[in-house]
Amino acid sequence: MGLSAVASRVATRAPVPVFPVAGLGARAAVDDLLVETRLRIVDTPAAANVLLLAGDVPSGLAAELARLHDGMSRPRTSLWWTLGASVRPAIRCPTEVRDPDPSILVDAVVDVHRRLLTGELASSYPQLPDEDAAPWRGIGPYGQGGTGMTGGVPYGRPMAEVAPDRDGLRLDQLTVRIGPFFARFPTGLVLELRLQGDVVQEAQLALPAGDVPMSGVATTPFGDALGVPVRVSVLEVERARSHLRSIASALVAHQLGSLAQRVLRLAGKVRPGDDHEIERLHRVLRRSQVLGWATTGVGHIAPERLEGTASGPILRASGVARDERADDPVYGGLGFEPIVHEGSDARARLAQRLAEARQALELAGRAGELDHDPESPLESPRGRLAAGDLPARRVLPLIPSLLEGMEWGDAVSTVVSLDLDTDEVLALHATDPKVSVP
Amino acid sequence: MAPGVAVVSVAVAMAIGVYAVAVIDGIAGRLVAGAGRRGVGVVLDPPRTVVLLLMQRRHRTERADAQGWALAPALLGGLAATGLAVVPVDRGTAVADPGTGFVVFATAIAFVMIAVFLHGWSPNSLFPLIGAYRYGAQALSLQIPFLLAMLATALPAESLAVMDIVEAQGDVWNVVRQPLGLPIYLMVGVGVGFWGPLNLPDGADLVGGTSAEDAGTDRLAWEVARAAMLFAIAAMGAAVFLGGWWGPLLPGPVWMALKTLCLLVVMVASRHLLARVRIEPFVVACWAVFIPLALVNIFVSGALLL
Amino acid sequence: MLSPLAAALAVFVCAAIAMVALRSASDAIAGVGETAPERVPFLGGHSPEVHAWSRFHARYYVMALLFLAFDMEMVFMYPWAVVFVREGGIALAEMGMFITILLVGVLYAWRERALRWA
Repeated sequence: MGLSAVASRVATRAPVPVFPVAGLGARAAVDDLLVETRLRIVDTPAAANVLLLAGDVPSGLAAELARLHDGMSRPRTSLWWTLGASVRPAIRCPTEVRDPDPSILVDAVVDVHRRLLTGELASSYPQLPDEDAAPWRGIGPYGQGGTGMTGGVPYGRPMAEVAPDRDGLRLDQLTVRIGPFFARFPTGLVLELRLQGDVVQEAQLALPAGDVPMSGVATTPFGDALGVPVRVSVLEVERARSHLRSIASALVAHQLGSLAQRVLRLAGKVRPGDDHEIERLHRVLRRSQVLGWATTGVGHIAPERLEGTASGPILRASGVARDERADDPVYGGLGFEPIVHEGSDARARLAQRLAEARQALELAGRAGELDHDPESPLESPRGRLAAGDLPARRVLPLIPSLLEGMEWGDAVSTVVSLDLDTDEVLALHATDPKVSVP
Repeated sequence: MAPGVAVVSVAVAMAIGVYAVAVIDGIAGRLVAGAGRRGVGVVLDPPRTVVLLLMQRRHRTERADAQGWALAPALLGGLAATGLAVVPVDRGTAVADPGTGFVVFATAIAFVMIAVFLHGWSPNSLFPLIGAYRYGAQALSLQIPFLLAMLATALPAESLAVMDIVEAQGDVWNVVRQPLGLPIYLMVGVGVGFWGPLNLPDGADLVGGTSAEDAGTDRLAWEVARAAMLFAIAAMGAAVFLGGWWGPLLPGPVWMALKTLCLLVVMVASRHLLARVRIEPFVVACWAVFIPLALVNIFVSGALLL
Repeated sequence: MLSPLAAALAVFVCAAIAMVALRSASDAIAGVGETAPERVPFLGGHSPEVHAWSRFHARYYVMALLFLAFDMEMVFMYPWAVVFVREGGIALAEMGMFITILLVGVLYAWRERALRWA
């Protein structure tokens, strides 16, 4: 056996670097992959060997997906984890996994990676043609790609232009579009930013306009609860899981990946009445300073700006005790009282979700056989939910003014603290009528 | 010391140190995460990942600064090796023990900023660039507390030779004489090695920051150099604060290794226990809290010596 | 035999060369070359409109100036640390005065919010 064969056999046993893209209805399944020790979830395509597309990645993102694929270094391949979706991704995936069981997916990824390294499976070809975005080589008096001394535009990209900053200086400003596959944001969220240094001068949402179809939501118990009676205990456990997953994403954004794994494991196994587990988690989070220096004062939203926009934990973390469950006689019978936190910053939102997860498990333990009446108002983990009224749609317009003047790290922490639902954001890109469920 | 011996001994120490960082990191991560794969994975995954990264093609961005990209990990690795070379292992035993060993080490630490900046600048990409400039703010704020905390250990020795600083701790270690010194040193050490809570240039909010465009051996070299830097900082901390080779029963080098390991565990485990700090409050804390504390440390320990 | 400083320098040079060699190792194993779209910097899917290299607005420049003052102070402190015990209280008082003046400057900068930039 040659040296390269030995090397590839050794390498196949290393954790597989995977760049995941969570499509419609796949966010929770993709987030849970973080606990798989045989995979290493990476944040940039350059570090990945396997591009994992999960669920339905809307065809509106085809160009960005092709660019993402080409950004991976070789050897590389892509794999589609269908998770019930029927529309193929826009790029070719040699491997498909139809089983929703994560351990089967991990086996498949490890196997694909092994075949990739041993040469059984060819590294996937570039999706885009090998052409410069704008031909520039050899143009200009010195072949520098333009005219004049500084006028070169290599690759069709000019240098940054100056713009005034708030100190009255005129300095370079970078205009960039971040997303839709930026690892810290929900898939599909694109922010057009003007950056001076590491400070956001101006932010805009770059999303297609139009009606938001109710896709994706129907796959969760809360989507079901809009139409049919659902057990209160089922809803509340789902609420606790959703909050714990949101806390796990915040932990990843604050560089505590191993603690996030612990939270995700907890989310996977919580049962009604497990509220003491959350109590223990609270102590760990305080010690790690996720509920301290890392989040205090970050992403503060004045409570009056939340009036009529955000609902749910974001609103209650600003001290407003508004919860649709308070108007529901079933919850009234369980002695439900809305929890509120003061502060209206990332710390308050984290603490709010943690306290609500605890309360949800407590309620679920006491709810017994009670059902939620579809006619009653519905409070999803992200706020009031009704047909055609999605929480993300109300929160997204807050983002541009919120990020202005923020240092980049704080801007990311802020977006993470809003806990945007990937399905709701992605639904904005969906052009295929099949995925938009009324 | 003959040049060959010097180079080989530093290379061996670096390899052991880098591997120790990877294993401690793996163990700490698994402990914090709760369950997970048990067994040999934690000791075998680092070499497997090395081979995997060797098989991954390097990534180049358009209009990249190719020389800078190659030099950044080389500079960081070289600085780590130099820092390691001036740490004495036993009485009279060091790869290099210049009379100004302390200054050599401090210079190596100061130049880390250049390496990180070069690494972030080279790919001509947004996230690495932000990481590079952010580390500028971080490194400038860390420099002074670091030097002050370390310089206090030179007062009792009346010398800038690291060997003399260790020798002067025969009766009492500097960690007892100057209780503020070691915590400041460790905090700064984690910051200089941009690790865990102070991994701001390569942070998660920048999806990898200065190494966001790294693939294959680019990533490998950078990670190896950073781990070596953490190891060098832990070794120097063990020498100047924990009494180096001093200790009962066991031979000096064993004590030195044990103390280095202790500090390494503290520094590496911080990654799994503490959240990323925000750069601005951190800069303020360095200037308004850590510098005054380090000054108190140096003047109080100085006054006690008189 | 090398002088100690030459040994440290030799270690630096050898380690740096080793790192460059390690970095270049994969070129032989994994090959080189990529298409134009593969070289586009990563921003999450969209390609950048301008080059990242720019006159980056390093808003911490005031802090950088403050650092210069303290860095000069450190130059004085190296020899001071060596002679401190020999010179005794006079050395402590002199350096104490010098540092206090610098520290007042830091406090002023802090009050003026010079250490924050966003």
